[in-house]
Amino acid sequence: MAGNDKKSKNFLVSKIGGQQLIVLGVIVALFAFFCIKSDIFRSYTTILSMLDFSYFVAFMAIGVTFALITGGNDLSIGTGMVCYGIIGGFFVTKLGLPVTVGFVITILCGVLMGCFNGFLVAILELPPFIATLSTMMIARGLGSIVTGGSSITWPADAWFKNIFKISIGEAKYPLGFVWVVLAVTIMTIFLRHTKPGRYIIAIGSNKEATRLSGVNVIKWHMLAYIICGMFTGFAGVAYSATFPTIAAGSGAGLELDAICAAIIGGTSMYGGSGTIFGTLLGVYVMSILKTGLPLIGLQANWQQIITGIVLLVAVFIDVVRGKKN
Amino acid sequence: MKKKVLSALLSVAMVATLLVGCGGSKEEAAAPAPEATTEAPAEEEAAAPEATGEALHFEIVSKGLQHEYWQAVKNGCESKAQELGATINFVGPASESDIQPQVDMLNAAVEANPTAIGLAALSTEACMDAIIEAQSQNIPIVGFDSGVPGAPEGAILANAATDNYNAGVMAAVEVFNLIKDKLAAGAVIGVMCQDATGESLINRGLGFIDKMAELVAAEGLTVTVQGNDKYVSDSKVEVTEGADVTLEVKVPASVDNTASANDATALLQTPGIIAIYGSNEFSANNLVTADGNIGKLGKEVVGAGFDSGETIIAAVRDGRLAGAITQAPVAMGEKLIEMLYAAANGETVADVDTGCQWYNAENIDNPEICQNLYGYTAAE
Repeated sequence: MAGNDKKSKNFLVSKIGGQQLIVLGVIVALFAFFCIKSDIFRSYTTILSMLDFSYFVAFMAIGVTFALITGGNDLSIGTGMVCYGIIGGFFVTKLGLPVTVGFVITILCGVLMGCFNGFLVAILELPPFIATLSTMMIARGLGSIVTGGSSITWPADAWFKNIFKISIGEAKYPLGFVWVVLAVTIMTIFLRHTKPGRYIIAIGSNKEATRLSGVNVIKWHMLAYIICGMFTGFAGVAYSATFPTIAAGSGAGLELDAICAAIIGGTSMYGGSGTIFGTLLGVYVMSILKTGLPLIGLQANWQQIITGIVLLVAVFIDVVRGKKN
Repeated sequence: MKKKVLSALLSVAMVATLLVGCGGSKEEAAAPAPEATTEAPAEEEAAAPEATGEALHFEIVSKGLQHEYWQAVKNGCESKAQELGATINFVGPASESDIQPQVDMLNAAVEANPTAIGLAALSTEACMDAIIEAQSQNIPIVGFDSGVPGAPEGAILANAATDNYNAGVMAAVEVFNLIKDKLAAGAVIGVMCQDATGESLINRGLGFIDKMAELVAAEGLTVTVQGNDKYVSDSKVEVTEGADVTLEVKVPASVDNTASANDATALLQTPGIIAIYGSNEFSANNLVTADGNIGKLGKEVVGAGFDSGETIIAAVRDGRLAGAITQAPVAMGEKLIEMLYAAANGETVADVDTGCQWYNAENIDNPEICQNLYGYTAAE
């Protein structure tokens, strides 16, 4: 019996991965804890709100996982997401273009910034932290310049708002979660089962060895940042759908939520390992904490301390694993 | 070979990206240009009347020009200046973080040798040299909006500004009138503030808390306040266990929409909640966002906001928000010019509260109100 248990456990561990299993347990525990402590947390509307505010973090986190896997980072995703949403919204509200055009522009801006980040990191070989710190500032300034410092309010009836939450009669359904799960599935297959995905992981474990084995490391390294940029574009759309008014120059700090999520989900800060599914789990650890802590009457600054401790534990696990390997 | 072609393609893509970037910066360079050009003729104008020693010219340095709020201040200034027969030159940096450009503008304003200067400083410290220079030339300075906080005594004659505490009091009175009948033991009133550091925001919150507590107590109910420590300790309300009515103050740890909206979600579902006040555009927007899933605003819960913007205006129109407070930037501009005029004539000037207004679905289209609202469009 005992042997059988061990076997099934090993099977689970190999399929989902050790850290993910822990994180999944943490999610269940946190969820149960808040459900017991707070009537409000149990309500459907709270869960719905929690999901609403998780989509843009999830998209950013999926993107930044690719940058992290290469051993890099992308700090430009927070202000970038806001900037792209603002630029897209500017074309719609101030220049009168159709919502669809604004939608495409938002995503395109993300891809362009991804190209630029990739250029800086993969071709110019700048340290990713510094390169993307610069583009983070650039994105922050750019959004303000485009709108002249004022905020942008996308039309309230923009169609893409309904792709994240649909109303059937009185009831509202979190459709955005479907897109997030779809994105996770596609990007997991890409990362695990396609050549480019495997090259990206290889670059993160040992760039030089990968290059020597004949892989065009510059190309695939860049691709990781372009994917990150594209998902930041998606995040910009999700953010615009969730919050009616986007303030120019905001968004600093949101990248950290996404990076935290990826690291909690088991993506290594040293590069070379990480899963998209783990990142998704990390996103929901963050979301549950952000939603649940205010509901049990904890003051805002304590919420940050607790989130900080959770991140510390996750990084500690990463370091311990790094030493083992 | 293939590698070369690819890298060439990538380089082209990069250059294209750079060009896009440069395109953006060109826009940036172009943006402040109109300000510069409006400034130049004004300087000439300034020089001319000075020579004749008769006409009045005021230089006004605001915190920005792009935001509609400042445009409204400018409109108020222009109409009043015309009425009084003075000329003005209204300038401001591209954003409220452009401290150095504002200092340059202030220096230019002093050099123009105007009759008086109106100033809303981004950084008092950075503006100090120019202020001293103006003093040495006997050019009076009047502060407006947030004025020139911490300026040495005598440097600034007076301020034309919104009294944010009074604005909070006004919100409390309006909200109280709407919830008077619902007040009972166990009632909760929510207060959402963006932060606990900005003086004007703190006053907006405290004005509301103090007045609301006073009004509730006058109904014969006990009242307490809980939540953010800064607001709780600075308010005049005594913290008591088991009071009938609770004022719950929520301040997010950072200016993050999600955190604020989560606070609103929690407040909206708190048992006994009868009203929620969002003390600026950020808080009120997130209150409206959170209600999207809950749908209690305008029904069980009275919502009140502050400032304007498209989201708040739409919510006021359809009744989700019972109303909101707006500052009166047009009146601020008018008062500022009156004060500059008085100062130029050697009269003593004192601080003026430029006032604020409560707007709701009924009076929002009143010209007296809507001239002060940014993001306003007339009802269809």
